Amino acid sequence: MSAKQPTVFVVDDDSGVRSSIRILLKSVGINTTVFASAKEFLAAYDPSQPGCMVLDIRMPGMSGMELQLELNRLGAVIPVVFITGHGDVPMAVEAMQQGAFDFLQKPFRDQDLIHRIQKALERDAAHRSALRQTEAIKARLESLTPREREVLELLADGKQNKVMAGELGLSQRTVEIHRSNVMDKMQARSVAQLVRMLLDVRATGS
Amino acid sequence: MGFQYARALLDAATDAVIVIDHRGIIETANAATERLFGYSPAELVGRNVSLLMPPGERERHDGYIHRYLETGITRVIGHGREVEAQRSDGSRFPAGLSVGRINGTDPPRFVGFVRDLTGYQQTLAALEADRDRAREREAEAHRSQARLLAVSRMATMGEMAAGIAHEINQPLTAISNYARACQRFAANQPPDMEDLQDCLNGIADETQRAAEIIRELRNLVRSQLEDRSARDLNDIVRQTRPLILADARVHQTAVHFDTSAELPQVSVEAVQIQQLLLNLTRNALEAVETRADGRREIRIATSQTSEGDVELSVMDNGPGVDPKVEQEMFEPFVSTKPSGTGLGLSISRTIAQNHGGELLVRPGDSGGACFALRLPPCTEACP
Repeated sequence: MSAKQPTVFVVDDDSGVRSSIRILLKSVGINTTVFASAKEFLAAYDPSQPGCMVLDIRMPGMSGMELQLELNRLGAVIPVVFITGHGDVPMAVEAMQQGAFDFLQKPFRDQDLIHRIQKALERDAAHRSALRQTEAIKARLESLTPREREVLELLADGKQNKVMAGELGLSQRTVEIHRSNVMDKMQARSVAQLVRMLLDVRATGS
Repeated sequence: MGFQYARALLDAATDAVIVIDHRGIIETANAATERLFGYSPAELVGRNVSLLMPPGERERHDGYIHRYLETGITRVIGHGREVEAQRSDGSRFPAGLSVGRINGTDPPRFVGFVRDLTGYQQTLAALEADRDRAREREAEAHRSQARLLAVSRMATMGEMAAGIAHEINQPLTAISNYARACQRFAANQPPDMEDLQDCLNGIADETQRAAEIIRELRNLVRSQLEDRSARDLNDIVRQTRPLILADARVHQTAVHFDTSAELPQVSVEAVQIQQLLLNLTRNALEAVETRADGRREIRIATSQTSEGDVELSVMDNGPGVDPKVEQEMFEPFVSTKPSGTGLGLSISRTIAQNHGGELLVRPGDSGGACFALRLPPCTEACP
């Protein structure tokens, strides 16, 4: 999954604009796949494929905005850069409110497009790596025994070994063993790092 | 025939009848001669007929008779002529003159018939003035209508401005992208010739596309009248296509073209048919805007009806036409749209009628409206 090359997905019904963006990105060594319609893109859409989208805001059939809403509904994380025409600013604002990464007005400078795409790709990479991190932490949490989870919670609350022993009705020595197992399993080098991991997992809402 | 009888005939005539001899001397003049010229027959008999002519002609008349008698070449005998005649008081009037030779007399004699054309010419002049005025009114009405059509085309262009700006921005965007890519491919060592070629082809294509849109725009905004010519409606649809697509894009609407393979030609002023098509398309684009599901579609079709007429139709999948407004929506200044001028359909119907055709509305296949222009096909006499 992580071995996949980041790809820019261009969805624009205008073949001239579409092809010119593809060749422009090729000139700076960015992998690009183009689609003539939202429908065509959705048919080929693979959520595990890293990259970003360049999306024309106005298209017949399903518009760029509608495709964005559909991607939101699918829980997609791929960043979307909108391309808008003159006078489409209100639409662009709406797109930003719906979570678009950025937008560009036509005609745009090549550097502006390339720069935004690079930023979007960075965002996607960071997002995906954070997600992978969270998934890993969740897996480690899963590997804890019920007793170890209790120790983890108390540790996170900043309780001393002696206090924990009292609350759990265990010997201090036993608490120390559990504590060392928790730190090992969670691959945490300090209590602070452990707390950070817990916060990350909780922040993603699961 | 007795003399009395002949005299009565002559005097009953409304034209002056004058008999002269080979020298031009008047031998007989009838009663009408007096009415026309103001000389009594008694005053005239024995005088040279040139007396009844204005100076200029008067001096030449003896020569005409002489020449005729010498050579047989006639100036007036046998053909009627319009001449100027002079009354006894010196005033002149336009006269119709016909002269014949009286056969079998010696010396030769001639009879002349003179008709006063004053009233006739006044009537003729009045009729001509009337006709000129009517022509001028007709031309003015034609010019007014041409101006109205031109103004309405400009208004349509104004409404389409967003789409047109967008449509010109598209190729500009592509050209700019291609050019920047070119710079990079050219800077590589060695340069990527294949990619460079692709970019340059792209630039050429996109330039053509922008030029095409501008050309169609220029065609539409020029206001002078053009002549009708025999045209294929499919060609007109093809020419209007870039502008229709520009407008459709802004309205995020899919346009399907469904043109019949073979159509008889029609005699049209192409720019007016383009205008009608754009009006109908704009209406359709606005009609489909209300579709909540976003599946906005219009279909532009050409066909030949079973009666042989050529039909151009624009169908939408909007809410359709309310039967209550179906009749009045063709009236000027009636609009169901908040910002409508109410001129689009009325002008479109006028254009249809100017071309001997009609503009119809009927329910579309997919619940919307279908507006159709029907034109008679060209006959052999088509320009």
